[in-house]
Amino acid sequence: MNDFLLVRKNLFRKKLRAILMIVSILIAFAIFGVLAAFERAFNAGEDVSEADRLVVVNKINFTQPLPIAYFNRIAAVEGVRQVTFANWFGGYYQDPKNFVIVMAVEPETYLKVTGTDFAFTPEMTQAFVRNRTGTLVGRALAEKWGWKVGDRIPISSSIFSQKNGTHTWDVTIVGIFDKNKPQADTNLMFIQYPYFDETRSFGKDTIGWLVLKTASSAVNDQVIKTIDQMFANSSWETATDTEKAFNKAFVAQLGNIALIVTLVVGAAFVTILMIVGNTMVMAIRERTREIAVLKTLGFSGARVLRLVLGETLLLAVIGGTLGLGLATLATLLMRQSLSMFVPGLRMSPEIVLTAVGFMILLGLATGLVPALNAFRLKIVEAMGRG
Amino acid sequence: MLKQIVAVTAINLKSIPRRFWLSLSTVVAVALVVMVLLSFLAMSAGFRRTLASSGAADVAIVLRAGARAELNSVIARDQVRLLEDAPGVARDAQGKPLASAELYLVVDGIKKTTGTKANLPLRGIGESGAAIRKGIRLTEGRMFAPGSNEVVVGKSLLREFQGFELGRTVKFGTALWTVVGVFEADGSVFESEIWADLPVVQSLFNRPNTFQILRARLSGPDGLAAMKAFNDGDPRLKLDVKSEQDYFSEQSSQTSDLIQKLGWPLAIAMAFGAMAGALNTMYSSVASRSVEIATLRAIGFGGFPAFVGTLVESLLLAGIGGVIGAVATWLIFDGFSASTLGASFTQVVFSFRLTPALIGQGVALALIVGLIGGLLPAIRAARMPIVQGLQG
Amino acid sequence: MSDTSLVRLAGVSKGFVKGKDAITIFERLDLAIPQGDFVAVMGPSGSGKSTLLNLLGGIDRPDSGEIHIAGSRIDTLSEGQLSQWRAATIGFVFQFYNLMPMLTAAQNVELPLLLTRLGKAERRTHVETALKIVNLADRAKHYPREMSGGQQQRVAIARAIVSDPELLLCDEPTGDLDRASADEILGMLTILNRDLGKTIVMVTHDPAAARYASRTLHLDKGHFEEKELAA
Repeated sequence: MNDFLLVRKNLFRKKLRAILMIVSILIAFAIFGVLAAFERAFNAGEDVSEADRLVVVNKINFTQPLPIAYFNRIAAVEGVRQVTFANWFGGYYQDPKNFVIVMAVEPETYLKVTGTDFAFTPEMTQAFVRNRTGTLVGRALAEKWGWKVGDRIPISSSIFSQKNGTHTWDVTIVGIFDKNKPQADTNLMFIQYPYFDETRSFGKDTIGWLVLKTASSAVNDQVIKTIDQMFANSSWETATDTEKAFNKAFVAQLGNIALIVTLVVGAAFVTILMIVGNTMVMAIRERTREIAVLKTLGFSGARVLRLVLGETLLLAVIGGTLGLGLATLATLLMRQSLSMFVPGLRMSPEIVLTAVGFMILLGLATGLVPALNAFRLKIVEAMGRG
Repeated sequence: MLKQIVAVTAINLKSIPRRFWLSLSTVVAVALVVMVLLSFLAMSAGFRRTLASSGAADVAIVLRAGARAELNSVIARDQVRLLEDAPGVARDAQGKPLASAELYLVVDGIKKTTGTKANLPLRGIGESGAAIRKGIRLTEGRMFAPGSNEVVVGKSLLREFQGFELGRTVKFGTALWTVVGVFEADGSVFESEIWADLPVVQSLFNRPNTFQILRARLSGPDGLAAMKAFNDGDPRLKLDVKSEQDYFSEQSSQTSDLIQKLGWPLAIAMAFGAMAGALNTMYSSVASRSVEIATLRAIGFGGFPAFVGTLVESLLLAGIGGVIGAVATWLIFDGFSASTLGASFTQVVFSFRLTPALIGQGVALALIVGLIGGLLPAIRAARMPIVQGLQG
Repeated sequence: MSDTSLVRLAGVSKGFVKGKDAITIFERLDLAIPQGDFVAVMGPSGSGKSTLLNLLGGIDRPDSGEIHIAGSRIDTLSEGQLSQWRAATIGFVFQFYNLMPMLTAAQNVELPLLLTRLGKAERRTHVETALKIVNLADRAKHYPREMSGGQQQRVAIARAIVSDPELLLCDEPTGDLDRASADEILGMLTILNRDLGKTIVMVTHDPAAARYASRTLHLDKGHFEEKELAA
């Protein structure tokens, strides 16, 4: 026997009560785990972004176009290591409801600039550059529709049309790529900008945005200033920002997700704090006499305090671990069905670590009052031997 | 029997103060569950109402086939001309068609609450653009003058985003625009928009002769069908014609369903947590009253009153929690203004709306928690062996 | 006073305040109990029997005076020091056994050993020995609820002696037991006193129980009245 056994035996002496407390803790942690996973997924763009990558968009708004000439002009700016551009295609497959992320990209440079996010093999890079109507499809998207390399697929646009009036472009899959980072999402595809630009009925020679790599993140500010000043007062002014800031601002448009998550998780934790805290106070009160006996046997106040705190900590850790397990299961189950809406839903090590922190805090918080009561307990009064 | 029930219930309720903190924790737990549920439902209802009030049944909206949202649509000048003269389109006193070809652009604004960039819709509207829509009313200033770079802004936009006060100058790209009026639109999505004269927008945004949508007032109940038939019959058109009402209800269902689909599972999960708390409280209640219950049983009271008494206590605690949760939600969130990205990739400003029906749902959830949380302990109270109970 | 005393009280006063009244229990009380003694303390309710035991066990403090037990002056020790001292020196036996309901007999007996540096194996030997002394070796795995009152009290005695304390303090150890069980318990205490040399102070109001002791102290209104009994 040791103190841990004593703690365990104490906790489970009233099994139903212990189980009910564990259930309520489990639920709070499951809610925390799922919501935190959602929040992380929403902010995945921020996680994937790299410190030396900048995004250049039209100053009016990022949905406004920029002239293609900016590609060469920005490439010449000092401190710019590599630049590429892309255009939003507004894609869907067969039915407008089957929304697909399609980007028309400058073939050679785009794969280089995003090569740290996605695992493009030399073969698929070559095939994509060489084949005007070729497309590179992300693994998740390819699996969703059962596409294979060599398939010829019709991709429609809800924005653009071809000169011949059709909204659909036929492209051939020349490669299916995986991701290099766990947060990256492969639910997307790339087509060649030259092919797209020549065939579309309007908007020729304009691009959506540019992505560039700087020589190092230290020169970011300088590069941002140079680019925006270069195009100031032109009819296409630019707004340049780090990729991280850009992605963050975009997610912020959905609403204050972090605040909602904080409020809901806060409500859940306040609830269990009250339930578990009060139940433990009551449980320890019921054990007043036993604690007095322990103290009579020579257990010090500090040791009794540790025993009670150990009990609430054990409770929090059991409930919390089960809750996290449930959350992990839930995110795995939702991962497929929500892949379009929140790609990359997963339980990250950061979330687990935060949860462990919360377990310890919760254990200490719920145990504080009863532990202090036990600590202060006077043997003589407790035994009614005054 | 009734007398017995009343007597036992009274004893139960009077003993609540003995378990004050534990009982309070149940009340607070239930209140928080109800608050979480109701704030999500109020958010969903508010968003739906904003979009629902945007769509009129007697206004048709024409988009490029497959575009689904105004932002994505493109219509050619010839198509606009054809449609303006289409059958089913209403005409004003001078015989001019009540139709407005529009350009829908996204510009950057700064959200007041967060200070972050947000997509705002700038709509270039035709001469009759304001007249076609229902309930447009200028609350400040005047309408923009045709041919000038002036804008009017919706009052929700003014409230949520920086720098759109009457008389202010706003800069989109290199062009400067003056805010000359503020309008309201029955709480619809248009109140989140900036409106300007179409030709001016086309020229200042380098979009000569480009149109995205056409709105037209319908001549009567058959107007939409007539317009659709005309559209389908002309190979130069082949566009999507639908009533504005249908267009917006499609958009609203996605987002508001999503909010509801988040709110209910969260609330139900939390309800299970609160239920565990209620069970705990009620088991303690039964345990602490075991001597009383056994004494009553010994002098001839039945088990059923003990059952009812316990259940009533549980329902009362949960009910109080539910009401507190509903009132708190109403005080904090009713009318709370928020904005999110709508289907057209721009911010839609809406207010949380806590309707009586939603409050009913919240209180019902609370009572379900109370019922289930009280049931098992109530059964235990009813079945407690008298001798064991008397020993305490 | 003789140096062979295990317990020595010198000028101990103790009182408490009840409402507006200050009630005195002991006024300048002196007491000496030699090593190896078996003392029964008797007296009417409110005579201070329990308070005396509390003072001896270091779970209550005198208002003034000195208490020396087994070479330590305990009235000046801090709470923490008292805990350690109790663990090493005192074995308690209560009227209502006060066993931990969720622990087995063996685990209950092992409890005080958690306060020592003994290893697992040593602790097991000690527990086995203690249970053997109280004739309960076969009940080691039983829970308190599975045992009779007499058996539970024997477990409690085993718990009191397992760490080999010098002084056993027994508070009405037979108060909740029938005659036969009580005799068994008292016989056991006698053996502990005679064969193992444990000094025992036992509070009781049962004259039959007091007869097992080597002498009886009658406590009345805070003063002792000693009656020597034939062994």
